[in-house]
Amino acid sequence: MWVDWKQKRLRLVIYLTLLSLFLGLALMISLMIGSYALSPSQVLEALFYPRDPVARNIVLNYRLPRTLLASVTGFVLGVSGGVIQSLTRNPLADPYIAGTASGAALGAAVAFLVPFLPLFAVPFFAFGGGLSAVLLSLLLARKAKAGPIGFILAGIAVGTFCSAVLMILLSLFSQRAHGILSWLYGSFSTSTWTKAKIVVPLSTPAVLYLLAKARDLNLLLFGEEHASQLGIEAERLWKFSLVVSSFAVSVCISFSGIIGFVGLVGPHMVRLIVSSDNRFVLPLGGFTGALMLLLSDILVRSPVNPFGEIPVGAITSMIGVPFFAYLLWRRGEKFGM
Amino acid sequence: MVCSIVVNGVSVRFDSARILDGVEFKVEKGEILGILGPNGSGKTTLLRCIARSVKPVSGRIAVFGRPIEEYTNEEYSKMVSAMLPNWPNGFSMKAYEIVLMGCRNRSKGLWWEGREEMKTAEEALRLLGALDLSDRDFDTLSSGEQRKILIAKSLAQRTEVILLDEPTAYLDLKHKFEVMNLMRSLAKLGKTILVSLHELELASYCDKLLILKGGKIVAAGRPRKVLSEKLLEKVYGIKAYVKWDESLNYPLIIPKNLGGRTVCSEKLISNRSS
Repeated sequence: MWVDWKQKRLRLVIYLTLLSLFLGLALMISLMIGSYALSPSQVLEALFYPRDPVARNIVLNYRLPRTLLASVTGFVLGVSGGVIQSLTRNPLADPYIAGTASGAALGAAVAFLVPFLPLFAVPFFAFGGGLSAVLLSLLLARKAKAGPIGFILAGIAVGTFCSAVLMILLSLFSQRAHGILSWLYGSFSTSTWTKAKIVVPLSTPAVLYLLAKARDLNLLLFGEEHASQLGIEAERLWKFSLVVSSFAVSVCISFSGIIGFVGLVGPHMVRLIVSSDNRFVLPLGGFTGALMLLLSDILVRSPVNPFGEIPVGAITSMIGVPFFAYLLWRRGEKFGM
Repeated sequence: MVCSIVVNGVSVRFDSARILDGVEFKVEKGEILGILGPNGSGKTTLLRCIARSVKPVSGRIAVFGRPIEEYTNEEYSKMVSAMLPNWPNGFSMKAYEIVLMGCRNRSKGLWWEGREEMKTAEEALRLLGALDLSDRDFDTLSSGEQRKILIAKSLAQRTEVILLDEPTAYLDLKHKFEVMNLMRSLAKLGKTILVSLHELELASYCDKLLILKGGKIVAAGRPRKVLSEKLLEKVYGIKAYVKWDESLNYPLIIPKNLGGRTVCSEKLISNRSS
């Protein structure tokens, strides 16, 4: 046990270093790739010794905020996915289980449809929709007193209701459906510093809080009853982590649109390869999510991609699913929490 | 003498079923209280009340003179530890990591368990004779081995009061005695232990017994006084001889007959549908 205890930290450091190296590489590539390709030295020059104003403009004003948003969104989705899976004790849960995505989609759709509303109102409506869906599910589950399963069911109910309203809106206003749909599919193509300046400061404290609570979230895995007896304010932690992670997710997806799969699979990749201890799952899941989303976004805007701007969420699934399927195939017996 | 636990008229109801009905007793510091009774008599519920996972509809419980609902979770986890049977499986954690969870109540670190905590966990595992299981995946252990790990987890909490729900279930004969002996030595150190048991013989290790039936206390007192032929018939509905081995102070319980064997009705075993 002592050996394992000592090795644990070392393992975390090794994996973190490895993943941050990969992420650093991906960040670099992300700044290079695009319709105007840049070499690594050009990127570094643009960042630190600006000489070429065109390159500097592209890197600083377009690619940097886009890269930042994609990786932060991926990180938030990965961490939240791990947290929500722990809270609901359900390996099938994703950050959207509480109706966040459907609520945000409905909010965004309303913003698109209300006349005279500027385009920048969309994220705010999406954020409001997402968070209110979560709070509504929480309220319903509280009334039901059925624990995590009750909460999942409440989330499904709220989510389904929001989706139904969204469908009705889409069919009623089919001439304006395109804007809504393109938001729904998720994209980082319109990233700006303004967006990054909202998303990064809002989601960073939330993610730090969740990471700090990783050890207590492990105890919560065994249920509120046992966690309380072990000295955790279990009920408060449960609610607080849920609201905090839903908040961060709502902030992110209200700008990027609905990006699926990352939040479900990022944490599971860590569980399958490394450990199901939340002190591994949360940070490593975050890095995995960031890496997945950033690579997908790179692919979306790379000149290799013949389809033009396709939804980044679709690409994420396209490259994520085969890898995940491989993991399931090789280590399926370890699948679970 | 300070009373560790005072239970005052505690009643619990699940829907309309009365699980506990006006239960009252006191346990002094350094005592082992054995809780006996047939299935469904309320043993586990009583322990869960004291562990604060079940709220009684009426009655009060105090631990060291303070009502239990006044403690915060952290304070309470330093006073009372519980080994309750419904610990979930399926999270692929090592046995020692489960024991380390018991150390959370006094942990200084936010993220990692410190050396002190590891020493506590190691000591708890050693007391249970389960050190060799420490690196095994908890889910792959047998029921008896899991029991030992969970008792070790409770010990790792280093509390004054220890609640154990059927700690001897699933254990082999040798470990049953070892667990009871361990309780005795913990009690000698001043720990208060409440333990529910099904083995009437092992109840002789306790200082006092509490016999529950249908949520009510039907008898209480020293094992020599309480464990009688009359009681067995009254509580369990079995006729048996109870003989005490004087040198071991250990009871021998021998049934007078093996009970009217239940005869399966023809209907239950017949393949023909009617």
